[in-house]
Amino acid sequence: MKSYYDITGDGGSNILEQVGAMHAAIDEKLAGVKHRLAVGSGKGGVGKSTLTRQLATALRQRGNACAILDADLNGPSQARLSGLHDVPLLPGAEGVALPKDADGIGVVSLGSLIPESEAVSFDTVAAGDSYTWRATREFTAVAELLSSIDWGHLDYLLIDLPPGAERTLQFAEFLGSSTAFMLVTVPSDLARGVVARSVAALRGTPNRVLGYVENMRGYWCEACSDVRPLFPESERVDLGIPRLGSVPFDPQLAAACDRGEPAIGADRPWWVAIQKLAEVVEETIQTKPSSE
Amino acid sequence: MKFLCVPCDKPMQLLEASPPDRGSVSLVYSCDACGYEMAMLTNPQETQVVTSLGVKIGKEGAGESKCPFTGMLADMERDEDTLRWTAGARERLSSVPEFVRTMAKSGIEKYARDQGYAEVDEKVLDEARSHFGM
Repeated sequence: MKSYYDITGDGGSNILEQVGAMHAAIDEKLAGVKHRLAVGSGKGGVGKSTLTRQLATALRQRGNACAILDADLNGPSQARLSGLHDVPLLPGAEGVALPKDADGIGVVSLGSLIPESEAVSFDTVAAGDSYTWRATREFTAVAELLSSIDWGHLDYLLIDLPPGAERTLQFAEFLGSSTAFMLVTVPSDLARGVVARSVAALRGTPNRVLGYVENMRGYWCEACSDVRPLFPESERVDLGIPRLGSVPFDPQLAAACDRGEPAIGADRPWWVAIQKLAEVVEETIQTKPSSE
Repeated sequence: MKFLCVPCDKPMQLLEASPPDRGSVSLVYSCDACGYEMAMLTNPQETQVVTSLGVKIGKEGAGESKCPFTGMLADMERDEDTLRWTAGARERLSSVPEFVRTMAKSGIEKYARDQGYAEVDEKVLDEARSHFGM
């Protein structure tokens, strides 16, 4: 009896061909993007989105054309962080126009389309059983965004990932081997332990992991003009990848993020750290890994 | 998924599909060699898993897809247009992912209304791009 692999075609469903066409369309739309960098973490709440946004700002200031894809469909925050409100997706001759913020950074986020008071939902014929199909639909939604936006020529496309070690791995497989990864943690063993799982998961993929960023390493105390400890600092959990930088928390930045305002604060320690991080990311991503 | 006629050891071909009924799709496959026919009846979860892959659905899909399963699924009701759209503008709108198309459309129409337009054409779309700094 014939096996699945003995039969060419699928008898007319054409489903695999359509999925393949979607991936081909993504490759075509991203052909002008030099570097794809996914920013992830196994842990939620470590500041991935804020860091992504500020890194984009610093890379932009260094003369790079940048865009951010907010792949956290259920908790999109890039629209608010970028001050994009009520900006519709506008179809042009070459695809959907890339929305840009005041800094000229492209930002694609469901947050600019869906009010924060509403949950992100999809049409379904299987109401009440979303656990059976929702993850697949979400990846398809990201694929639809990637393949429909006219990304143009970019030096960096930063992809702000949702939390979860399994999601990090799934996005590595979904985005393909040409996407590099940068992980974010806070300096506690609790967070580092979870991020270590993401590192382990990525180890099984061909994707390059540039390293990790230690976010919220202390906080900037205005009164004492110093960075004070915020978490019990330890490095007992070895992540086994390079540390690209450490960024202190700054209440001024948090307030600016809430307002969706750029918070470039001249010599504020967090901004100095972000600028340094951008420099390190540029150097690292442009250097071929030793194994190549 | 493929279907094999075991007695003939030949792949079966999709013959027809019935419109979705409460999330279930009925697909009839036949064997070209012996004429045997069989039907696959999906449950809503199976239907949803396939549509979640982003295969073409709706009226446009029916024309393009070789497969009634993917082409006819979710023959969704269309929002009544509140502004006239030219064929060119509508064609462009189809490039917006379906799951955010309604939101994109209402945003564009809001812009057009604010500017006093009664119709959305490609010029209005280009003008909106400039307006929003794209």
